[in-house]
Amino acid sequence: MNPATLKRIGLGGITGNPIAFAVVLALMALLLAIPLTHNGYIELVFRNILMYAAMAYGWNLIGGYTGYVSFGNVAFFGIGAYCSAILATHGVDNLLLYVLLAMAVSAVFAAIVGFPVLRLKGHYFAIATLGVALAVTDIIANLDALGGTGGLALHQVDEAHFSIYYYAMWLVALGSMLGTYFIARSKLGYAFVAIRENEDAAAVLGISATRYKIVAWTIGAMMAGAAGAVFAPANGFIDPSITFAIDSNVFPIAMTILGGIGTVAGPFIGALLLAGANELLQRFFVKAHTLFFGAMIVLIVLLLPRGLVWLFGLRGGARAWLKSLSVYKA
Amino acid sequence: MSEVALRISNVGMRFGGLWALSEVSFDVERGSVLGLIGPNGSGKTTLMNVISGVYKPTAGEVTYGGKRIADVATHDVCHLGIARTFQIVKPFASLSVRENVAVGAMYGRYGAKRSTRASFERAQELLEVVGLARVAERPASDLTIPDRKRLEVAKALALDPDVLLLDEVMAGLNATEVEEALDLLRSVNARGVTLIVVEHLMKAIVSISTSIVVLAEGRKIAQGAPADVLGSPQVIEAYLGSRWVKRQEQLAVIEAERIEAARLQPPEAGA
Ligand SMILES: Nc1ncnc2c1ncn2[C@@H]1O[C@H](COP(=O)(O)OP(=O)(O)O)[C@@H](O)[C@H]1O
Ligand SMILES: [Mg+2]
Repeated sequence: MNPATLKRIGLGGITGNPIAFAVVLALMALLLAIPLTHNGYIELVFRNILMYAAMAYGWNLIGGYTGYVSFGNVAFFGIGAYCSAILATHGVDNLLLYVLLAMAVSAVFAAIVGFPVLRLKGHYFAIATLGVALAVTDIIANLDALGGTGGLALHQVDEAHFSIYYYAMWLVALGSMLGTYFIARSKLGYAFVAIRENEDAAAVLGISATRYKIVAWTIGAMMAGAAGAVFAPANGFIDPSITFAIDSNVFPIAMTILGGIGTVAGPFIGALLLAGANELLQRFFVKAHTLFFGAMIVLIVLLLPRGLVWLFGLRGGARAWLKSLSVYKA
Repeated sequence: MSEVALRISNVGMRFGGLWALSEVSFDVERGSVLGLIGPNGSGKTTLMNVISGVYKPTAGEVTYGGKRIADVATHDVCHLGIARTFQIVKPFASLSVRENVAVGAMYGRYGAKRSTRASFERAQELLEVVGLARVAERPASDLTIPDRKRLEVAKALALDPDVLLLDEVMAGLNATEVEEALDLLRSVNARGVTLIVVEHLMKAIVSISTSIVVLAEGRKIAQGAPADVLGSPQVIEAYLGSRWVKRQEQLAVIEAERIEAARLQPPEAGA
């Protein structure tokens, strides 16, 4: 994906289309009812959707709002997961503490790594972030204290209270969404977008690109870290291959792009549709589901280059839509 | 009692094998309007980039209030009170026109003291000043070229500058619009803002400048009061060189052809 693609986003203000955001808030309210189905499978599917949504929001700040495509956010998800696992092995059994520690450690790590990495631009930045993710995976896989490749088991709450993980993930997703909304509307959001649209012009207006890239990346890291912190006990077991799975890296990016980058509704809509579609495809096409999944992503990107949220603001029907495709190609 | 605001001393700027600027020195008095002229490619924009800290000069230095600009991060130059526009306009395309200007008000010189809301109010005031209030809500990508130039000016003004660098902001404006732009610049200058104006339109430059610096091929070839500078044959030759000298040559050729043709004519008329 080239930066020019990222720049072409006129989705109705810095938070994106307000109707789309209202719809997403309503859907979030509905999702509170999922545990009432008492269906473990459904709860798992939707907990994953919420998890991916939180990670997508984290990616959206740096990749969507600031325009710097990161392939490293999975590192923060992993760090969050391992924070929970470490606390759990020390007998701490408090989900809130897990999340708070994960957010703090992810933020500190992101800020420290961010200083060298976020000075880079364009492809160099993307490659460096991928390097960060691979390095963190490798380090954890080689640390015996963290279980190495063998992983760590976490104590889980009993069956009757299991939905606590679902509600916790719901809160993490909601926090990420509302956090994005308020950040986008604040001075910070405007610094991010200014950097995305034109870094030279932003600098002349007093915006330090490096500083605000670090801020975007660090806040995003806290969102991914929080999601990881809830994922670990909910899953009951983590190891490097589960935690740093390629899905956890690529899905949030694909979801944000499909939903609409640089919008508040986009990451959630993308997560709901993509994770949902992935689940359905897996059930019906046991072997070929990745093929269908890939084809679906390509199709949506081709037909809706600005993401699904953009549909909410579309005026002028099919003609406007066709025009948008030619604008995209120009 | 003239106080020097900006001092440009021996500035040289090299791009590969090309010295876009060499040994350029001059002072800009506080409160004055300096017209910076020269043919295309003479280094005007490059000098703007050096003064605004976008480029670090290869040689020499620019100082403002005793501080070397090269020692200040680009994003802090506006906090010293220096603002500039871009000849090749750089709007934040997906943001509205008002948001574009508000960004300057938020992060510019007094930005730290302004709330988001106050920044938007300031932006709206400036849009009225530059004549963009009618398109405040539109995405900047929708603007016409003259409006994009106006937006550049509004963004720069949002930084509350003491020194304002304007790089061809009147290009593409019609005669009435140029007059309006000049009035705007005069009123900005009347509030004590020092201006450095790059413009091709001689009438505009002469009418607004207190002094003029002429660049040619990266060197300063003249400096002084508008009337003196523009009357100098050296400037006429260098500045108008490309067009003027060519035209003179063309005229000479036409004249020679006429004479030749006359010579070859059978001298019947004279007979
Ligand atoms: N970033 C750059 N890289 C290489 N050459 C440049 C760069 N910027 C300007 N130049 C060259 O420097 C010379 C002066 O350009 P410029 O300052 O834009 O002139 P002006 O604004 O007077 O038309 C030109 O020959 C131009 O090609
Ligand atoms: Mg120029």
